[in-house]
Amino acid sequence: MSRIVCEKCILDSDVPGISIDEDSGLCQFCQTYEPLSPQEKDGYLAQMEALFREGSGKGEYDVIFALSGGKDSSYTLYELKRKYPFLNVMAVQFDNAFISDNAIENAKKMCEITECDYFRLTMGDEVLYDTFRRAALSCDAFPRFAKYRASDICNTCIGIIKQKLVEMSIVHRAPFIVFAFTPGQTPNPIINLSTSFVKWSRDLFDDQLQKIGIDDRDENFVIKKEVVENMDNVVPKIIHPLCLWDYNEERILEKLVDIGWNPPDINDSNSTNCTLNSFACYNHLQKYGIHAYAFDIAGIVRSGDMTREEGLKKLNQELSQPLILNAAKKLNLKVE
Amino acid sequence: MEQIRNDIIYFLKSQSFMDSDTQFAENESLTKAGIIDSIGLLELLDHISERYSIEIPEDMLTPDNLDSLQGITNLIVKLKTERS
Repeated sequence: MSRIVCEKCILDSDVPGISIDEDSGLCQFCQTYEPLSPQEKDGYLAQMEALFREGSGKGEYDVIFALSGGKDSSYTLYELKRKYPFLNVMAVQFDNAFISDNAIENAKKMCEITECDYFRLTMGDEVLYDTFRRAALSCDAFPRFAKYRASDICNTCIGIIKQKLVEMSIVHRAPFIVFAFTPGQTPNPIINLSTSFVKWSRDLFDDQLQKIGIDDRDENFVIKKEVVENMDNVVPKIIHPLCLWDYNEERILEKLVDIGWNPPDINDSNSTNCTLNSFACYNHLQKYGIHAYAFDIAGIVRSGDMTREEGLKKLNQELSQPLILNAAKKLNLKVE
Repeated sequence: MEQIRNDIIYFLKSQSFMDSDTQFAENESLTKAGIIDSIGLLELLDHISERYSIEIPEDMLTPDNLDSLQGITNLIVKLKTERS
């Protein structure tokens, strides 16, 4: 059967698990998609503001912010502090051993501009190379749906960031963790965690690490048991404000450059901060035949924040060969 | 019960958490079967809350309630009963 592209987003019938309905011409995600109405968005925005006002000033920090130094997180930090200047924020940048120097400079600069504390989280290059090498060589360690969300390498990296940010929020008694996920990347703008859910998700991630051959006995990647066991019932909420604000890549970049953020010096259409991303996408395509950004781009197109043509163009851009080769060399892996 | 169970299976299949021909037992662990992870669970919670107009209390976000078809079905029935 010939390849059919969804008439609304950019997913197509060649992607494993994607089916296009003959009558509607839509993929299964577009068929059931219900965007947040303006009233719902306003409701979430009001709820978010009330939570920030109620929860601030009670811990060492109000917010633990996931800052990669890329465009989305830099913009979200800037807007967060512009809209809610009373928030005391610690921005955490995960140095995954592949983050670009430019992204580190940008992250520090954004913290200066927004008057937030900057914290660099890392575990040492060799440990991280070994971890991502194992993720690249693994197969089916993550559930099927996770393969649409991101590559095995990115799922591992994001998992580590989430675990460590939850840990830091508990240690610093910060009631909120903020991520800069776009509308296609997250199910809900406000997520209420619970003690049992935090424990459960820790164990689930530990299982996933074991499946890719990592024994995290030093708890470098998961929330430390001591922290989980001694956490009281005050559990952080996860907030995704970017999926409630208007999202336009061009305008975001324009705004950032205007305030002093340096445009990326790496040639990757899907990441402005990570030099491992092209290899991660290549590896995912080789293993599963799935473009690791297809679902993400489809979500932005579906929500109307990007045209279908722009989405298809972005999806079909060739991956950077120099970036792929460079990352493969560091991971001691061969590229076919 | 049967309708709720079928709805959950339909959701998991239609949203590509699993293949249309995947079979699993009522009390089989969805996480151990590689069908769902913590982010997938959040998607499922979102679906349940919207579809059945129920709020799932934070203390009920446990493997007993959410890691099997049986647990999820029982949870929805319980919360729907409490609401009505």
